[in-house]
Amino acid sequence: MKQTLFVIQELIAREMKRKYSRSKLGILWSVLNPLLSMAVLSLVFSTMFRKSIENYPVYYLTGYLIWSFFTAATNTAMTSLADNQALLLQVRLPKEIFPFSRVCTAFVNFLYSLAAYVVILAFFRISLGISAIFFPLVMLLVFFFSLGAGYILSVLYVFFGDIRHLYSVFLTLLMYLSALFYPLELLPPIMQTFIRQNPIYQFISAARSCVMYQEIPQAGLWIKMILWSSLLYLAGIYLFQKAKTKIALRL
Amino acid sequence: MENPRPVLSVKNVSMEFPLPLDGSSSLKEYLIKLFTGKNSSRILKALENIWLEVYEGEILGIIGTNGSGKSTLLKIIAGAITPTRGRVVTEEEKIQLLTLGTGFDRELTARENVFLNGALLGYSRSFLKERYPDIVKFAELEGFMEQKVKNFSSGMISRLGFAVAAASEKPGILILDEVLSVGDVFFKEKSTARIQELMKKGRAVLIVSHSTDTILRNCTRAVWIEKGVQKLTGSPQEVCQAYLDYGKKRGEKV
Repeated sequence: MKQTLFVIQELIAREMKRKYSRSKLGILWSVLNPLLSMAVLSLVFSTMFRKSIENYPVYYLTGYLIWSFFTAATNTAMTSLADNQALLLQVRLPKEIFPFSRVCTAFVNFLYSLAAYVVILAFFRISLGISAIFFPLVMLLVFFFSLGAGYILSVLYVFFGDIRHLYSVFLTLLMYLSALFYPLELLPPIMQTFIRQNPIYQFISAARSCVMYQEIPQAGLWIKMILWSSLLYLAGIYLFQKAKTKIALRL
Repeated sequence: MENPRPVLSVKNVSMEFPLPLDGSSSLKEYLIKLFTGKNSSRILKALENIWLEVYEGEILGIIGTNGSGKSTLLKIIAGAITPTRGRVVTEEEKIQLLTLGTGFDRELTARENVFLNGALLGYSRSFLKERYPDIVKFAELEGFMEQKVKNFSSGMISRLGFAVAAASEKPGILILDEVLSVGDVFFKEKSTARIQELMKKGRAVLIVSHSTDTILRNCTRAVWIEKGVQKLTGSPQEVCQAYLDYGKKRGEKV
């Protein structure tokens, strides 16, 4: 167990180093990226949504941080088994550690980008209430949700490589259905009900109410989020266990 | 037989791989399979009914031509893949499989790779920190450790790989996959000496090679595997002779 932890630490360290091995600014990009993305989107949309969204940059950034953690975690976890083929076939370690450490790497990256978030919150003079305590809890749910999705994708990718292209199309769709950069109220009521069932939207809106609006999310939303993340996590674990022996044969 | 208790037994192990005919793993292929009900793969028998016993202190050589199933057998012994039939029984927790420079990340420095590889091989952090100077010294890479591995020669990579794997002090089973056939003459001498040292500590070593020279020089016993079938087990001289005779015959046919 201790050894597995050490291996995971080393794997995360390696992913972080690899990610920025060719850049001069290195880890600073984890902070700059969300800021730049926020600047661009605010430039384009903040006049458009001025009336409906207060503090548009914060609104966008809150969603963007969660969204980019989810996409980075799942996209990198997807190829983790194939990328680590050489290691996987040599060592008698639980194979889960490869997608797991990719998701952790994305989470470490998320933690760095929180620095940008703090700066922006201060800039817009948003004072954190007690409700902000629930933000880490939301992130914990996002973590397990992404981990489950990562396990599922990593297994699928071993068997059909095409899943990568399908997933990128799916992500585009999912992004538009997550009310990342527009107010939900803009849509017709039917669409609104539909989007409220989207787990990513649920996580984002819960985070927004915790941090931006000083409101603790309602019980119904918590139940939905907990159901989604435990469902995906358990499905991921189950599929991974079932496919374990076949994975080594296909790689 | 001085020590009749095997540290590792391979019991009736067979391995079959489903091979897709065109080698692609696409959704299209999957859908076609689903609709036509045809399974477009054939079965490759990589290993058939292998029996092996490795005793304490032995250096067992496994010889065979390329694609004979040697590497598959190693992966099964190392526990990375599960055989289709049969099983591997061992008391040993530590089975280290060392192949040439695989597992090294070319974008990382040599130092980072030592820690990553060491962790994967089952060394603790404190052990690695303590043994790090020895590993560097053994690999003769002083002054190169902060360089990225992609700038290394294949000889340097294999020396480093050997040094990391051979750093262990706890007796276990060390599996060397074609590692002894590279490096210069001096390093070969040193690695052979190190293997003998490890062997004295009660460790068993498995050496895989297609070179009879390596087998004859290092091993106490040898196994010849050809196209997944165990052809012969015996003394290195006997096995290598049979292997060479087979090679000559095959050469004459062609």
